[in-house]
Amino acid sequence: MLDIKYMLEITPSLLSVLHVTLIILIASSALGLGLSILVTAIRIKKVKYLSQVMDLFISFTRSVPIVLQLFLMYYGFPFLLSMIGIHVSDFSAAAATVLALTLYNAGYLSEVLRPAYLAVEKGQHEAADGLGYTPFQKFTRIIAPQVIPIALPGWGNALVYLIHDTSLIFTIGVADIMGVANTLISSSYGAHQIEIYLTIALLFWAITFSADTMVRIFEKRAAKYNLSNGIAPKKKAKRKMRILVQKGV
Amino acid sequence: MLTLKNLRVAFGDHEVLKGIDITVKKGEVVTFIGPSGTGKTTLLRSINYLEKPSDGEVMLSDVGIKFKSANKKDILRLRRKTAMVFQQFNLFKHKTVVENVMDAQIAIQKKSKKEAYEKSCEELEKVGLLDKKDMYPSRLSGGQQQRVSIARALALEPEVILFDEPTSALDPELVGEVLKVIENVARSGMTILLVTHEMRFAKNISSKVVFMDQGHIVEQGTPEEIFEKSTHIRTRQFLKEYYEAEEDLAIANV
Ligand SMILES: Nc1ncnc2c1ncn2[C@@H]1O[C@H](COP(=O)(O)OP(=O)(O)OP(=O)(O)O)[C@@H](O)[C@H]1O
Ligand SMILES: [Mg+2]
Repeated sequence: MLDIKYMLEITPSLLSVLHVTLIILIASSALGLGLSILVTAIRIKKVKYLSQVMDLFISFTRSVPIVLQLFLMYYGFPFLLSMIGIHVSDFSAAAATVLALTLYNAGYLSEVLRPAYLAVEKGQHEAADGLGYTPFQKFTRIIAPQVIPIALPGWGNALVYLIHDTSLIFTIGVADIMGVANTLISSSYGAHQIEIYLTIALLFWAITFSADTMVRIFEKRAAKYNLSNGIAPKKKAKRKMRILVQKGV
Repeated sequence: MLTLKNLRVAFGDHEVLKGIDITVKKGEVVTFIGPSGTGKTTLLRSINYLEKPSDGEVMLSDVGIKFKSANKKDILRLRRKTAMVFQQFNLFKHKTVVENVMDAQIAIQKKSKKEAYEKSCEELEKVGLLDKKDMYPSRLSGGQQQRVSIARALALEPEVILFDEPTSALDPELVGEVLKVIENVARSGMTILLVTHEMRFAKNISSKVVFMDQGHIVEQGTPEEIFEKSTHIRTRQFLKEYYEAEEDLAIANV
């Protein structure tokens, strides 16, 4: 029998470390978005050498399992720094986590942003250029508002992956939900594994659901731009058709 | 008012414009005609700096730019004195009709929203589309979109408007409404550079017609001089082929 009472009992102690997961999530998704914009810009502008380095970086983050990336960051990064003469005495697992997830998220997002940017027609750029927009004005007023609706679903996916990947950060010793779960399991001598994992699953479900809802709200806000892609008019046309059909026309 | 000197444009090794010299006076309507691939589009785009010329200079009222040494500020100044009307309209897809006309006024001319809105309504009225002001471009016909793009250009009160085959992407029955609007713009005293394959329209509207071939200006003159009295074999050949093709089309349509 599932011990629901036990599940309710352990929930507070799991919730008490939820902020660790959330902070790491928010930090790495925000930093990841920033970095991905930079990476995408470098690749689109085809900046010499740097652009190739970015391609390599993306290929790496996409190919290597995230657990390995976490280990590499935690053990490798201080070592890398010491090679250039910087010695960090206490490189925390949380910092390593944020760094690794940021890179991973940025690599993934760059593959979302680049095609979204390229999907904006050349004519949109030329119209703005021709009228005398500065590159910054063109980007903020004309290009970005058209890129965002295209990129939003992909960004939502990236966010969900990030949420999933936070379930691995206990492997380098971050005391998050999974970390607490392991402690609980060993202190209950493995008697309540199912309950513990199920509680965590429900927690992750809740986090992902909230994230999805947020993305959905953004998408709805951006939906007015879909109108310009002809999606809304078609819907309307369909409704018209249905009305006509109902009227027996 | 607008002077081009020795304008040269090359795509890689392929030189498309081989030294174009031209002078346009205020209020003139100058039409460029010539075979396909001759460089007419490239010429207009160069004046807007959408193509980067390899040599030459442009003078537009008080802005003088040597293309070889043009800096960003020069380019912006040039672009803000000119406005381009594209074959494919290129309206901003995420903005309504009136927002399309307003945006550059707000961004570039630093007008208030209210000012820009009023000016935009005025221009939309002129092109007969005030009632469509809150629609998105995708809901308009090609002819209507092109008229909006003309309003967008006019609203910035440029020194010169560049039209690159403004009716070529349109269904035949929509060509008339756009030509009518261009005619009104010409009447209002706007300086216009126009590339078109609508010869009859060119004949009626132009103060000057320029015949181009293979990256050169072959000849220029009044519509009468070019269309009726040209002694240049290439001009006559081009016009003859044009009228023959038009006749074939007319016969095919009967
Ligand atoms: N971006 C480009 N890259 C390479 N070649 C180009 C480019 N744009 C134009 N060309 C070439 O330059 C030449 C002139 O082109 P342009 O479009 O100016 O001709 P056009 O006179 O406008 O022709 P049309 O009447 O067909 O519009 C053509 O040979 C074309 O292939
Ligand atoms: Mg052309």
